[in-house]
Order: sequence, then C-alpha cells, then structure tokens
Amino acid sequence: MKTFLQRKSTIAFAMALPLILIVALLVLYPAVYSIHMATLNKSMEHFVGLDNFAFLFTRETFWMVVRQSVVFALSAVAFKALIGFCVAHFVHNVPVKGQRKWRGMLLVPWVIPPAMSTLAWLWLFDPSYSAFNWSLEQIGIPGVNWLGSPNWARFAVILVNVWVGAPFFMIMYLAALKSVPEQLYEAADIDGANWWQKLWYVTLPMMRNIIAITALFSLIVTFANFDIVRVLTSGGPVDQTHMFATWAFKVGIEGSDLPLGAAVSLFMFPILAVAATFILRDITRRGNEA
Amino acid sequence: MASREVNRRRFLASSIAATAAVVTGPYIRTSHAAGKLEVGFWDHWVPGANDVLTKMCNEWAAKEKVEIKIDYIPSQGGKNMLTIAAEAQAKAGHDMLAFPTWQPADKAKDLEPVDDVMKDLVAANGAVSPLIEYLGKVGGHWISIPATPGSQIKGPCARIDLFKQHVGLDLTKMYPAGAAPDKALSDAWTWDAFLSAAEKCHKAGVPFGIGLGATSDSVDTMGTLFGAYGAQLVDAKGNITVKSDAVKQVLEYMKKLVLVLPPDVFAWDDSSNNKWLVAGKGALIMNPPSAWAVAKRDNVKVAEQLWSFPAPSGPKGRVQPYLPYFWGIWKFSKNKAAAKSLMRHISERSAVEKMVAASQGYDIPAFAKLNDFKTWAEEGPPKGTLYHYPPKPGQILQVSAYPAPPKIAAQIYTQAITTKMVAKCTQGGESIDKAIAWAATELQGFMRV
Amino acid sequence: MAAARSSMKGDRRKAMLWSYVFLCIFVVFTLTPPVYMLITSLKTNAEISAAVAPWWIFAPTLAHYVELLTSPVYLTFFRNSVLVSMLVVAITMAVSIPAAFALSRMKFWGSATLATGVFLTYLIPETLLFIPLFQTFVWVTEATGIELINRWWVLVILYPTLTVPFATWIMIGYFSSIPKELDEAALIDGASYLQILTRIFIPVALPGIIAATIFAFTVSWAQFLYPLAFTTSTDQLVLPVGIITTLIKGDVFTWGQIMAGALLGAAPPLIIYAFLMDYYIAGLTAGATKG
Repeated sequence: MKTFLQRKSTIAFAMALPLILIVALLVLYPAVYSIHMATLNKSMEHFVGLDNFAFLFTRETFWMVVRQSVVFALSAVAFKALIGFCVAHFVHNVPVKGQRKWRGMLLVPWVIPPAMSTLAWLWLFDPSYSAFNWSLEQIGIPGVNWLGSPNWARFAVILVNVWVGAPFFMIMYLAALKSVPEQLYEAADIDGANWWQKLWYVTLPMMRNIIAITALFSLIVTFANFDIVRVLTSGGPVDQTHMFATWAFKVGIEGSDLPLGAAVSLFMFPILAVAATFILRDITRRGNEA
Repeated sequence: MASREVNRRRFLASSIAATAAVVTGPYIRTSHAAGKLEVGFWDHWVPGANDVLTKMCNEWAAKEKVEIKIDYIPSQGGKNMLTIAAEAQAKAGHDMLAFPTWQPADKAKDLEPVDDVMKDLVAANGAVSPLIEYLGKVGGHWISIPATPGSQIKGPCARIDLFKQHVGLDLTKMYPAGAAPDKALSDAWTWDAFLSAAEKCHKAGVPFGIGLGATSDSVDTMGTLFGAYGAQLVDAKGNITVKSDAVKQVLEYMKKLVLVLPPDVFAWDDSSNNKWLVAGKGALIMNPPSAWAVAKRDNVKVAEQLWSFPAPSGPKGRVQPYLPYFWGIWKFSKNKAAAKSLMRHISERSAVEKMVAASQGYDIPAFAKLNDFKTWAEEGPPKGTLYHYPPKPGQILQVSAYPAPPKIAAQIYTQAITTKMVAKCTQGGESIDKAIAWAATELQGFMRV
Repeated sequence: MAAARSSMKGDRRKAMLWSYVFLCIFVVFTLTPPVYMLITSLKTNAEISAAVAPWWIFAPTLAHYVELLTSPVYLTFFRNSVLVSMLVVAITMAVSIPAAFALSRMKFWGSATLATGVFLTYLIPETLLFIPLFQTFVWVTEATGIELINRWWVLVILYPTLTVPFATWIMIGYFSSIPKELDEAALIDGASYLQILTRIFIPVALPGIIAATIFAFTVSWAQFLYPLAFTTSTDQLVLPVGIITTLIKGDVFTWGQIMAGALLGAAPPLIIYAFLMDYYIAGLTAGATKG
C-alpha cells in the first residue's frame, strides 16, 4: 500500500486530481445534463428527442443568429489580430526604454472588467446623449444611429469587442516579435530584402505558433461572448445583434423554455470543437517538427 | 478510510436532522404564522419607496414573531425574470416574490392558491378589473394577489408649452387637475389626433419619443395601440389571428407614425424615452411619472411643463397601457401561512396609501376603492400633474398581448413581437404582409408545449 | 557597406516616427472610454442632463464618489468582490501548481491528453452551464443543509472552472522550461517530489506564479453571468452585477453615479496591473510562447 502511494504516477495523479474533479463536476457533468435537458419538451416533463433542434432549424431567427455569430466572431478576431499585429510592430520600433509606458497604456482595455467598460461604450453610444454624435455634429456631420440601425449596431458590438481584445493580441505578438532572432533580419538585409519581404519570410513564419494559439483562444472567447452584446444591445434591434449565448438566454430564460435555450447554446460547441481540433493539430505537428 | 466514511455519514445525518428541526420547530410551537420568511419585492427606483415597504414588513414581522428576510430585485437587466425562472425550475428560493404581468399565469402550476386572501381583500378594498382577474386567476383559483409597488400605467406624459405652441392644444384644459375631463377635447383625443400632433411636433423639431425597441415600455405602447384598434395577435382561444384587417390597419398607421419619430427609436430601452423628455428634446413620451420625477431633480424647467393624461382612444375605446405587478407564494414555500398574513397586512388601505405616497404617485393600486388617494391630486410641480394618471371609469385597462392565453402572451410580450413587426415593415423595408407572415411563424412557435 | 548601413538607419528613423504617430492614434482610441468614464463621474447630474459639452466639465464634483464610498450597499459589493476574488485566487493556485507540476514532469495514464485538453473546458460556455449547476446546487443544499443558493461563496466554487485551466496552462509552460537536470540532481540527492516542487520549481517559476495569480484575480473580479444567475439578495452581490442591477433602476439612469461606480469597480485590477504590469504581461506571453 505504502509503495503504491509513493509511486510516481500515483502522486502525480493525486496532484492532478483537484483539477480533474473541478472539470468533471462543474463543467462536464452540467454540460452532459444540459444535453439531456435539450431533449426535453418545454415544460420539461417529456422526452422529445431531437424535436427542439428540428424546431430551431425551421426558425428564421435561428439562422440569423448563426450567421451573426459566425460573422461577428470571424471579423472581430480578424480585426483584433490585424490591429494587434500592427500595434505590436509600432511598439517594437520604439526604443526599448519607452516601450513600457506605451505597452502600459495600450493594455488598459484588457484589464478593465468588460461589463464596466461596456457601460462606458453604452453611454458613448446613447441615442440622446452620445458624446460621439455631439462631436460629429460639431464638425457638421449628422449623428449616427449607433445602436438603432442594424448595421451600425453590429459595427458597434464588433468595435467594442475589438477594443477589449486587441490589446491581448498586441501583447502576445510583441513578445513573439522580441523572440525573433535579430540575426535573421540582418541576414535578410544583406540579401537586400525590403520590409514587406522581411515580414513575409522572416517574421510571420517565426510567429506562426503564436498567431495560431492567440487566434484560437480569442475565437473561442469571442464566439461565446455574452457580456458585451447583453449590456450594449441586448441582441437588438430586432434580434440583429444576437449571438448564441445572448439568444439562448432570451429564449431559454426570458422565454421560459429552458430546453430550447439549452439546445441553442449547444450549437456553439461543435463549431468551436472543429476550429480547436484544426488549430491544435497544426500546432502539435509544428511542435513535433521543431 | 472507513472511519472517514462513517464520520461523513454522521455529519450528513446530523445536519439533515438539524435542518429539519429548524424548519419544523416553530410549527410545533404555535399555529399562528411564525418561523422564517424570505420575500423578494420589486426594486423601486424611487428613492425611499423600498424603505417604506421594509418598515411595514418589519413591523408585521415583529408582531407575528416571524424572522423575515427582504430582497429587492430589480427588473433591469431581466434580473427578476431570471430569479423567477431559476426558482421555478429549482423549486427552491424565496417564499414570496413579486411577479410582473404575465408571470403568475405562466408559472401557475408552481404557485399556491390564495383565494382566501383575495376574498378578504376584495371585501375590504373593492373589486378588481377584469384584466387583473384574467392575469391573477387561473383554473378558477387566484394564484396571486395584485401588488401596488410597480403597478403602473404608461400613458402619455407631455409638454404643456410645446403642445400649446405647436399643436394648439391645452393639455391642462383637456384634462384639468381636480376635475373631470373636458368632453369635447377628450373625445377628439384619438389616435388620429395623436398622429397629426406628432407630425406637427416633428416639423417643429420636438418630435414625440415613442420607443420601438424590445423592452417593456415599447411593447406596452404598441399594446395600447393594438388594443385600441381591436387588433389581436392571438385570440382568447389560442387561435392565431394576426392575419387580420385590424392588424393591417395598425401597421399602416405605424408606417405613418414612424416617419415622424426619431430614427433611433428601434434601439430604445426603458430609459431612453425618459432621457429624451428630460433633455428637452421631445414633446411627448408614453411613460409612467418616473420621467417627470427625474426632471424634477435634474431639469426643473422641463418638469414644470409636464402633464400626465390618458392615452388616445381608438375604434374599440380608450385603452390604457397597464402594467400590473402581483405577489405570489411558491408552492414549495415552507411558510405559506406567514406569507398570506404578510400579503394581507401590506394590502390594507393604510399600507397602500403609504406606498403610493412614497412612490410619489407612481404606483397604482388595483382595487376600486383605493384610487382616490390625495397623492395624485397634490403632486407637483406643476400641481395636479398626476391627477389624470391613475385609471378612471370609462377607460379600458389592457396589457400588451391580451387576450391571448397567458403562456403564449408571456412569449409575445418578452419576444416583443408587436414592436418587431413594426420595425420590419418600417425600418426593415419589408411589406406589411411579410411582417405579418413572419409574426405568424413566430406565434406558431409559441404554441409549443 | 557604409551607404547601406546609413540608409538602414534612415529607414529605422522613419519607421520610428511613423510608429509614434500611429501609437498616439491608438492610445487615443484605447483610452477614450476610461477617460470619458472619469469625466462623466465628476459631473453633476444636472450638467449631464443638460448635455451641453460632454467632453468637458464645468462644475466638477466628487459627490458621486462620496455617495458610493459612504453607501453600505456599495461597500458590501466591494467587500464581496474582494473576498470572492482572493479565495478564488488561493484555490486556483492550490489546484493549478500541483496539477501543472504533475502534468509537465510526471507521467501517468492520460496525462498527455489532460495537458492539451485542459483548456478545452473553455469550449463549454457559462450560458450553457448555469441552469444545470443551479439545479445541482439546490439538490446539494437540500441533501446536506449547506446553503448553496444565493450566497456569495457559491461563486468561490464556480469561478475556479474559469481560472484553473488557463492558470494550469501558464504554469505548465513555465515548468516545462525548467531544465530537467535540476530535478534529476535533486532526486539523486534524495529529495521528495513535494520538496522539488516547493524548493526548486516554485522559486524559479515565481514570475509565472505571480502572473497566474493576477490572471485569476482579474477574471474573478470581472465575472458577470455567474453572479447574475446565482446571487439575488443585495447583500450577496459582487461589484459588476451590483453596479448594473442596483445603480440602474428601471427606467431611471444616474450616469454620473454609474460611471463612478464602474471606475471604482475597475480600480483594483487597474492598480494591480499598474504595479505588477511586467509580471502580468510576462505571464500571458510566456504561457503561450512556451506552451
């Protein structure tokens, strides 16, 4: 008995046990339960199999939510990556001594709790009191219907999400940029490469792993976003900024149909799992090559 | 290992025993209400209104020797809906809660019948409107009692000066303080007159602020309009009647009205129209007196010009946008006797009068004999601004989505089908028929069991 | 050669200048919302309603801050947030460090899958989980008599699901970069695994630990959905939910107070960040570059 307890694998398992328990009890078990819930009828009294899912497929709003979620997640992550990449370069170009304060200021959106900062954006976009519209009107441009017109509302939601998330990308890319060996750039200079070629042939390949991991992490978090949409538009106007999480809340809780809400949330899962597998496979392959 | 297992079992057993003792103990002592009670009331926005209710409850608790715990749960962010849904699902939580409009009927099978309480209240305070009966009585049993805090009417609240100047109508003459309405003027106050007044104010740069978002202010306003024209989405039997001429008529009307409203009304939430009025940007909103009360604090010049009065009338009569709240006891409550006793205490005439005064006239009691309090006549400035706020005979009190069966109506309300239909055939550029067809599919979805 | 080098220098200088220009633009974009929060929080209600000049304060006032800091309700939110966050941090580190040690150094059945799979828990969003969790907690409350409904300490049980996976991932990254020779030498000297962990790994990976701690704190502090779902009574709320549900009442907004409340609510993470910024950044980046 004693040797069993002292064996390396047992100790290791014991050390990892709390982690396993937390994930099993508080994540996996409720997830499975919610799959069960999605197969019940509205009053949760009978088993109806895949009826809830079939019902969702006939709903125009559902497909709109799918489209919106995908467009939102992909475009937000793309913008975050692009902006993060560019800003990381700018910070990298500045002498090292001064970089710290720029980095400090630029990371602020990531540090403020999103629920709080979204309130600030809500106030900035307010129909009657928008400070942005006031400034626009000062220079003769009519105010924008930030949250009332469908396309502007979608823009607003993406904008706030990019504002919150781009600093994360910036920090990651900056660290990766710093780890690219200077010799590679010098060699490229000797070969007569211009900045675009250096970027394409030196920087990007070295950063591939980081770009992939950051994009994956961000895709997951953005796709499942609740706070920003909920506080800013509550999915409006006319359901045109709803994402899976907020629509599940609306349909499930506010519409008193928990099984249907569970069914909606479950749709996030396969899409994310597919994305995760692809990128993970790419990383482990690259890791094995290295 | 073995000893630990035994200890754990002992711990479980003793704690279950302890819990049982705490729960059943007081019952053994006396047959009167006693023990513990957890209540969740609607969080009133008027500062100080909650405190009055707390004081009344504590007085009652001291007298009845009940240990009471009071929570104030806001409707903002859907927090009260969330609480209701979670507690209904988990069959655990507070003993007594405040339920908005359609919720008691929606959760009827989880609520304790309170016929005995209602019988006494009606005997003491007068009858309630058919609407209250429709919402609070299911299967022949009252499953909740009407609550005063939170019950409101979202009628017009408009600028006296702007109406005089641009519409040529003296609101204080049409609905004078302390007196009956001027017959000629009030008869002429129809939805068509509303539209023409809106057009005039739009031209003058102070348009009406009628929200068309998904929150309750917008849904209630549309409900009034639909009700005034007899346009029903789903009838009392549960048939989908959205493809009717009355609905078409209302949507045609809205197409004209939207042209003279601010373009961002589709994103308005419950506070947007308040802000609109208080900032002095518009001539009229449909809202309870909360906007006026905020103006009193932040922009007195606007507040002094505000007047609350009944909604316009339509072919089916003068429908008022009513939003009643109820108090209900969960079936799983362990202290129903105490809850019923509390209900009685805070529904007495003196209690209701205190609550109405503390809310600065915002709250509307549901019982017939309780609509004559001094508060409404005396609140100001301007004095008498709330005189015509509470319901008067001859007005039809309706809730948005009435008379659909409650479970379907609750969905119509929370999913804001009416305002979305309007948005689709105005801002969305779709035809009225297409908007109606969309609504029909959504309504079919609500029929699910 | 010299010509090439000097043109390189000129290029570098141009790049730097343009960088400064764009950096200024981005900083304006980045800091506008927090600055606007500050401006609004210092204005009187009347000035906010009048909407004369949103970006300027004519009559600054600290009234909103005073109201909040002397309000027992708001201070309760603060206290709850502090308690919850600190407890969650403690639990997170107590779980993540041993787990990371086990997964990066010691092999056992399934450890490789666990190591890569641990962050896949993020694929299962909170909106999916909170209803079944609520139901489970009710059942546990009834069976054991421990109050798990509408109590702030429920959050202490829930938040680790959000913090532990990433914290473990960060620590795995750090631990993997510690050369194996170190622990092999210690093992030869007769040290037990616990001693290796506490004497070698933790001191060497201290920056990572600090970073993971900051991450756990920030995530706990900012949580919105779980507290919204699980806590109702005003005295059990944490800051984000407390501000949004109690400061915004029905259709009456008091933006000055809301902005002040939001800023005060954002203050602790910001202050920690200001003092420990390097650790913060190091943790985020190291976890990823090494992992």
